[in-house]
Amino acid sequence: MMELWTVLYWVYGFVFVVIFLSATAHQLLGIRRYYINFLLKLFAFGQKRVERKRVSSDQDDSETSFSEFDQPALSFEQPRALGIDEDNKGFHMDHVLEYVTAGMASIMEDNVTKYFEPEELPMWNLLSRTNDRAYEFVSARLTVCWVVGFMVRYALLFPIRLIILTLGIPLFWLCMIVVGVFPNGQFKRWLNRKLVIFCFDFIAGSLSLVATFHNTENAPKRGIAVANHTSPIDSVVLATHNYYDMVGQKHTGLMGIFMRALSHASTHIWFERSDEKDRSLVVERLKERVNSPDLPPILIFPEGVCVNNTSVMQFKKGTFEIASVIHPIAIRFDARFGDAFWWQDKFLHYVIHMMTSWAIVCNVWYLPPMTRYPEESAIAFANRVKAKIARQGGMIDLSWDGFLKAQPPKKEWLMQQQQEFARHLHVDNTEEEDQLSTKEKDE
Amino acid sequence: MGNKSSLMLQEQDIRDIQSETGFLPSQIERLYSRFTSLDKGDNGTLSREDFLRIPELAINPLGDRIVHAFFKESEDDHPLNPLPKPSEDDHVNFRQFVRVLAHFRPIKRTQDNKLNAREEKLHFAFKMYDLDDDERISREELLAVLHMMVGENISDDQLNSIAERTILEADKDGDQMISFEEFCCALERTDVEQKMSIKFLK
Repeated sequence: MMELWTVLYWVYGFVFVVIFLSATAHQLLGIRRYYINFLLKLFAFGQKRVERKRVSSDQDDSETSFSEFDQPALSFEQPRALGIDEDNKGFHMDHVLEYVTAGMASIMEDNVTKYFEPEELPMWNLLSRTNDRAYEFVSARLTVCWVVGFMVRYALLFPIRLIILTLGIPLFWLCMIVVGVFPNGQFKRWLNRKLVIFCFDFIAGSLSLVATFHNTENAPKRGIAVANHTSPIDSVVLATHNYYDMVGQKHTGLMGIFMRALSHASTHIWFERSDEKDRSLVVERLKERVNSPDLPPILIFPEGVCVNNTSVMQFKKGTFEIASVIHPIAIRFDARFGDAFWWQDKFLHYVIHMMTSWAIVCNVWYLPPMTRYPEESAIAFANRVKAKIARQGGMIDLSWDGFLKAQPPKKEWLMQQQQEFARHLHVDNTEEEDQLSTKEKDE
Repeated sequence: MGNKSSLMLQEQDIRDIQSETGFLPSQIERLYSRFTSLDKGDNGTLSREDFLRIPELAINPLGDRIVHAFFKESEDDHPLNPLPKPSEDDHVNFRQFVRVLAHFRPIKRTQDNKLNAREEKLHFAFKMYDLDDDERISREELLAVLHMMVGENISDDQLNSIAERTILEADKDGDQMISFEEFCCALERTDVEQKMSIKFLK
């Protein structure tokens, strides 16, 4: 019995040291990378097993000849009347068919809610949460792997990460207070920068965050930076490498305390989204910043909501009206190791979910700054930046507004569809009526 | 997908649905995943609101009609259909959900097509018009659909004449209404298979 405790003690101690080191000196030791590579090998093994089983159960007869057909779908950007044959004038009862089919297709899968659900993985990553295909019963060996993985994640990694986190937050808070003591000026900014990056890195260790930063020569030193938004962790990820001031919704509770601490040290902008006045204040403050070269860069997420990282949704134009130079940043998480997307209702559940994943792996690309063209509207500029970010991160560029997550689409869009359909009928009808009336005249 | 509720579909259920609809087990599982993610109340059924929460459906002019099709369980006597007939007014369960979607499966030459044969698809389209289920499309019913499709963009008079013309062209037995046979005749040259099929993902 005693030996068991000793062994456990040593194991826990060892893992604690490893994680602590990975939180502080990981770049030197490359610990996190070894871990990731090991996990990848494990997943590949699991996948082979799964494929063997799947092939036998899915007797698929050959697909029909027309698998290349284009599914009718409603576009909200350029509404098009579906199924209208230009040669056949007037209304025909089969005009409804494609609308019905488009509706059914959207019931099966639609292009909005899809992006608010966690990304589907090409292979199973041994987490029960991504298990919708009953992977457990594939093979005994895989089940054992899963159980071991489960134990490791919940009993070993989670408590240790929790310890690191509980160490990290007060540390961070303390650092911010210390920095706040100093008078505003260059030294304060320098100290702030160094400490914040260190603290964030420490906390990131509690998530086993492995972030690779590309094109660091483009990392912004001032001005406005925009990035796509997947989770609250985005800010943490970016802050482990470069210092930013944050803009965000005021929170209560733990996050609130944290935010206030941050504000001691530097000029963040926290606001209340539902308050109009507050919002316009933000705009004012942003304008000020654009013109002050000394202040650190400010980080903005123009989508306004968290999206599941396979696509980039519509950028709100506000930021793009204020600034003419934007530094785009693309963040792409590798969901195989742990999904950073926040879909849980409670923040606590989300944090637990993240801390019991294998790791959070992501790539960050700093893109060269983009300038608004003289005649370009804010919306066009926003779309241009969005397209660049989407392309860099390998994500789909969508025009849907992220707020559709919570609100129903505007009536105007329905009316637009109706208008398009009517247009095709009406034109034909006026022609027919003209023909009829000329016929009448002749008679 | 499927993160919120575990797979509660039994093997037997999957097999039943497969024989009834022709969907593959993997397609059924995926549809179940979709069903549960649409089911915000987590009570195993979908309400109208659940459907209309899908933005692409909410902007579809026929959105309401399409949702209605799920709630109006058809009463055709299918030899292989042991389901209780009319669905409860406000909720759709998974079996009903899949049955309706099954009409849109592509037609497979090598298979026995129960729910997605051309005639079945046409009948489904017919029911989009035939609201009172009397197997006839009246002028009012046609007008109702036209109105949904064009909104305020065409005057009532013009819609009336369109409706009359359509019935005139299709009506063979002179009863001023369109029966299912007349409907099929009118759509003879339509590629129903292409216009009413969806690729279901595995």
